Amino acid sequence: MEKINFRGFLTLVEREYYRFFRLAVQTIFPPIITTLLFILIFGYSLGEKIQTINNLPYILYILPGLAAMGVISNSFSNSSTSLFMARMDRSIENILAAPLSHLQIVGSFVIGGVTRGLVVGLTTLIVAKVMTPLTFSSLLGTLLSLVLISVTFSSLGIIAALWSEDWDHLATFTNFVITPFLYLGGVFYSITMLPPFWQKVSYFNPIWYLVDDFRRQVLGIGDLPAWQSQLVLWALALSTFLMAVRLFQKGWKLIH
Amino acid sequence: MPDTSRTAISIQALKKKYKQVEALRGVDLQIPTGEFFGLLGPNGAGKTTLIKSIVGLVRATSGTLRVFDYDVQRDYLKAKAMIGLSPQEPNIDRYFTVRRTLEFQGGYYGLSRKERRRRATELMEQFGIADKENDEYWKLSGGLQKRVLIARALLTSPKILILDEPTAGVDVEQRHELWHHLKNLNKDGTTILLTTHYIDEAEELCNRVAIMNRGQIVEMGEPKTLIRKYCQEQTKVYPGSLEEVFLKVTGKSIHEDQSLKNGKD
Ligand SMILES: Nc1ncnc2c1ncn2[C@@H]1O[C@H](COP(=O)(O)OP(=O)(O)OP(=O)(O)O)[C@@H](O)[C@H]1O
Ligand SMILES: [Mg+2]
Repeated sequence: MEKINFRGFLTLVEREYYRFFRLAVQTIFPPIITTLLFILIFGYSLGEKIQTINNLPYILYILPGLAAMGVISNSFSNSSTSLFMARMDRSIENILAAPLSHLQIVGSFVIGGVTRGLVVGLTTLIVAKVMTPLTFSSLLGTLLSLVLISVTFSSLGIIAALWSEDWDHLATFTNFVITPFLYLGGVFYSITMLPPFWQKVSYFNPIWYLVDDFRRQVLGIGDLPAWQSQLVLWALALSTFLMAVRLFQKGWKLIH
Repeated sequence: MPDTSRTAISIQALKKKYKQVEALRGVDLQIPTGEFFGLLGPNGAGKTTLIKSIVGLVRATSGTLRVFDYDVQRDYLKAKAMIGLSPQEPNIDRYFTVRRTLEFQGGYYGLSRKERRRRATELMEQFGIADKENDEYWKLSGGLQKRVLIARALLTSPKILILDEPTAGVDVEQRHELWHHLKNLNKDGTTILLTTHYIDEAEELCNRVAIMNRGQIVEMGEPKTLIRKYCQEQTKVYPGSLEEVFLKVTGKSIHEDQSLKNGKD
């Protein structure tokens, strides 16, 4: 049996957490503020003028989507920024020269992103729970969905950080890939409210499946059959993670 | 004393081609345990490429590379655990202090928390950077940065120490202090692979040197032997130097360098 360098792995995780806790204020307060603003705008003013969706007040309907949105953008930016910085200051080379496996290295970036995603997602949900009559359909399902969404976007963040040659590339990835998919991913509406053409287009948007699953776990309602969104969620989390590990194994943009 | 029965680094027919450049064109090199080995060569000769292939930061195009019988591709975890590297270009986390840099390094190599702290303190004292422990690495002067890099390489008490231009930009006094330190480490059994552009440094420290040029080792041996071979007109007054060997072997002369300088004016 080979001895696994578990301490090395913990040190990598600690490195992620160190970076992350330096930014703790920037992580926890924005979702609180955003959630409060949304509740204010859609709960008390606009919300009353918008029809209910599946018999739920509009604000309740969008809250899970709002949480998912925060989880997606935060887990993505956490891992992508961390790895891209490490490429810029070359500290990733020091890590690659150490006796650490590719799985351990990728795992640590993902754990960092998942932690950040969970903090943001849970903060949003807690604020929502305090301010609105939100009840959870499945607490465990909600947590699992949060974790899998964060794994997916932390892994995507790793891939984006490897692909990018400068900060602008990274911003491009966020602005042209993540953001549009996110806003068209059913955060603010039910697909049944769309014209038939756009309903069909939604099926090609992976984020839509994730948001749908998350909403089902929180509220117990969704546009898709549960198994479909579940399947896509698991498939995305696994494939993006394995892809990130594979790219490290190949040394893409890391090893010449 | 080098132990020729055990090979620390074994390189056979190593080739590396980047997109256009052939950086290594068939390198063969055996470094026995305990040897102090110097790698010399002009800019672009392939020294850093060779070193990076040993620690897995460059993937060789062909050839074999072993560290204490561990293949650096297949048994990469075991091979890497044996090595401490001080790279030519710094690769340190932007916001890390000196102490954090050292302690995290210990962590990556599996040292316990207590051991990391102890080694970090010990090395900061040895390298005269104890008063800088809470300074961020990037705010240190160039010479101190080099010292941190070397201290970090030593933190895990590696069997093989690889130093890529450890004395570039280091003042004379510090250089001599480092020499003293490296000699002691080598005496205690650490195998050292060093690259430098200061030929006198290699002559002073190394049991053997290899002179590289354009991706190949063009000459290899003990400094004394090489001097005898290349500096025929040696006398008591002018005993010849490794620098002279270097210039002859790499096909350069001090005169050529001079004309190059003149050409720029
Ligand atoms: N990542 C890379 N991509 C393409 N070419 C490279 C890369 N790294 C090095 N080279 C080329 O390979 C050759 C050998 O470079 P290397 O850095 O190994 O030389 P060196 O002997 O360390 O030089 P120096 O004394 O200047 O440090 C050079 O021609 C260099 O331009
Ligand atoms: Mg070099």
